[in-house]
Amino acid sequence: MSRYLNELDANRLLSGYGIPMAKSFLCRDEEDAAKSASELGYPVVMKILSSEILHKTDAGCVFIGVKNEKELRDAYKRILENARAYKADAVIDGILVQEMAEKGLEMIIGMKLDPQFGPVIMAGSGGIYVEVYKDITLRLLPIDRLEAVKMLKEIKIHKIISGLRGIVYDDEAIIDVLLKVSKLVMENPDIEEIDINPLFVYEKGRGAKGVDALIKKKDEK
Amino acid sequence: MDNNLRALFNPENIAVVGASSNPSKAGFTILNNLLSIGYPKKVFPINITEEKILGLTCYEKLSEVEDKVELVVLITPSEMIYGIMEDLDKRMAEKNDVKVIVCAAANYGETKTEEGIRRQNCLMDTAKKYGIRVVGPNCIGVIDNINRVDTTFVETLLPKETRGKRGGISFISQSGSIAASILMTGASQPAPISMNKFISIGNMVDVDFIDLLEYLEEDEDTKVIGMYMEGYSDGKKLINTMARISKKKPIVVLKVGRSDVGAKAANSHTGSLAGSDAVYSAAFKQYGIIRTYSFEELIDTLQAFDAFPLPEDNNVFILSQAGGFGIYCTDALLDEEVLNMPVVEEETKAELRSILPDMASVCIPEGYADITASANVRQHVESLRIVLKDKNVGSVIFITVIPSFLPSKELAAELVKLLKEGEKVSKPVLICIMSGNYVRESRVILEKNGIRTFDTPSNAVKAVRHMVEYASFLKDAEGRK
Repeated sequence: MSRYLNELDANRLLSGYGIPMAKSFLCRDEEDAAKSASELGYPVVMKILSSEILHKTDAGCVFIGVKNEKELRDAYKRILENARAYKADAVIDGILVQEMAEKGLEMIIGMKLDPQFGPVIMAGSGGIYVEVYKDITLRLLPIDRLEAVKMLKEIKIHKIISGLRGIVYDDEAIIDVLLKVSKLVMENPDIEEIDINPLFVYEKGRGAKGVDALIKKKDEK
Repeated sequence: MDNNLRALFNPENIAVVGASSNPSKAGFTILNNLLSIGYPKKVFPINITEEKILGLTCYEKLSEVEDKVELVVLITPSEMIYGIMEDLDKRMAEKNDVKVIVCAAANYGETKTEEGIRRQNCLMDTAKKYGIRVVGPNCIGVIDNINRVDTTFVETLLPKETRGKRGGISFISQSGSIAASILMTGASQPAPISMNKFISIGNMVDVDFIDLLEYLEEDEDTKVIGMYMEGYSDGKKLINTMARISKKKPIVVLKVGRSDVGAKAANSHTGSLAGSDAVYSAAFKQYGIIRTYSFEELIDTLQAFDAFPLPEDNNVFILSQAGGFGIYCTDALLDEEVLNMPVVEEETKAELRSILPDMASVCIPEGYADITASANVRQHVESLRIVLKDKNVGSVIFITVIPSFLPSKELAAELVKLLKEGEKVSKPVLICIMSGNYVRESRVILEKNGIRTFDTPSNAVKAVRHMVEYASFLKDAEGRK
C-alpha cells in the first residue's frame, strides 16, 4: 500500500533537501491564518489541508491572490464551508496559508518508480498543455551534474531558458533541483512518486520555486 | 568466463540431431553450413534411417558417437525431445562431454501450452543435471566465423570466400526471422558482411542477453555489438551490463515495442516482459547505447562502427558531385541537431576553387561543396583530399551520381588509393555512389578494400550521427573519471 503525503509534509521533505518551495504555514484558526499571512506578506494563497479532499480546486477549497486580512478571513470561512459541502465528514487538518510565488517560466520535475528500472526522473515543460506537447525527458536515477545538464538541453523549452524571448532563465537553479531530487530519492527508497508542478523558473540569478508538490510513499505498515 | 559458453563458439566436435538428406529441410542446411564454413573438427549427423549425408556418416543415436561431442544441435520435431534427452542422459552418464545444446527447433515454451512447457522442462531438466548450457529453443543458431562454426539453417548465398572471414560485428537477436534477415541482408552488401559472432537466442530459456553480452565484452575480435531486442525480464540488470560494456565498445540496438500495441505483440512473441519503452530509450541515451529505429539504420550503423575511426567532433562536410543529392543530404544532416556543417579554412576554400571546374560551388553554404557533374576522377579525389586535411572537418559525406562519362571503377580505385594506401586517414568518409546496379561494381571495389558505402546520403547521415554521439559519450565518460 502507498499513500500521498499531505502538501505540507511534501513541501517540508523537499525543502529539507534544499529544494526551493513556496513558503507555507498550517493554520488551525482564523487568527493563526491572519498572523501567518502578515508574516508572508500579501497577497497569499489559501488551501485546505485534508487527505480526503484531493481535488482541492474542484471542491472550491483553493483561493489565490488573497489581498488583505478582510479577504483572508472571508476566504477562511468559505474554504471550510465548501469543504463541508464537498465531503461532510472529511477530516480537515487545517488551512494552508502559502506565499504567492511570483509567476515564472513553468516547468515540471517529477520522479516515478518504474517496476523494472527503479526510480526514473523526469524534467519537462509545464503548463496546462503538458500532455499535448509532451516536452519531457527521462533518466534513471541517480544522475550526476553532467546528466542533468544534458537533460535540460534535450527539451524544447531549453531554447526559451537560453533567452529565445530576451529573458535568460536560471538554468543552474533547474539543474540544482534535479540533483537534489536525485539525492532525495536515493536516500529515501520508500518514495514512489514525486511531482513538483509547477516549478517556476526566474531570470538568471533569481533561482526557481516549486509551488505545488505531490509525493507518494510506500506505507510503513 | 563460463567455459561451456566457450564451447558454443569453439566446440570440440558437433552432433546434429535431426540431420536430414532432404535439401529442403533445416536439418540439411545446418550440415551444409557447417561444411561450407569449413568447420575444422568433426560433425556427426544423427539420423535413424540414413547412412550418409553430404558424405558424413550418420549415427542412430547421440549415445552411439564414439568421439567427444561438445556441441549438440537439436532440429527434430519437439515431441521427440523426451527420447533424445533420455539418450543424452545415457551419454552423459558414460562420457560427460556435452557442454552446449543449441535447440533450433520451435514448439516449446513459447507456445505457452502445457505440452510446450513440458517439453521445454524436459530439455532443461537434463541440461541442468549436467550443467549443459542451452541456446534457444526456437532459434536460428549460432555462427563464429573465426572458429568456423555455423549451426544456422539459413541459406544466405554468402560467397564461399567470405566464409570464415574476420569481421568486427557480433550480433545477438531475440527474433529468428530478424536474425536470418540480418544474415541474408549482410550477405547481399557490395562486400558481404562476415559476422564475427552471431547468436539467435530464441526463448532465452538459459543462455540470455546478459551471458552473451558479457562474452562479447571480453571477445577481442568483437569491435561492435548489434542487438535486436523485444524485451527482457530484468531490464535494470540488462541496462547495467550494457552500460558497462558501452564504455569499451559500441552497442547498437534495434528495439521494438515502441507503441503500446507493439509492446503487447512483443510480450506474446517471445513471452518476455517488454518493460516501458520510454524508460529503455532514456537509459540507452544515458549510457551511450545506440538505438536505431529501422533495419537499414541498424545495418548501416554497425558497418560504420566496424569500418571507420570515431569522428573527433560533430563537424560534417558534405562533398557532392550532384546538387540535388547535396541539398537532400544537407536537409537530412540539419535534421540531426547534434550535427554541424563546419566553416573551413580560407586556404581550403582557395585550394578547392583552384582545382574544381569554374561552375563549382565552394562553401555556399559553409561546410558544403558542389563539385558539379563535370568533375572528373582527379577532381573528385583531390577535393576529398583537400577537405580531409582541414582541421575543422570531423567527417565527410561524399556523394557522386555517376554520369556515363565518369569512369566509376577508376574513381573507386583512386578513392581506395587515397583512403587506404596513402597516409592514414583518421576521419570517417561516408561514400554514397548513386545508384543501383550501374554503380554496384565501383561499390564492390571500395567495400572489398574496407571502405563501407551507403545506399543514400540520408543513411550516411544517420550512421555518422550515431558515431558522433557515441564519440561524445566516450569523451563525457572520460571526463567523469
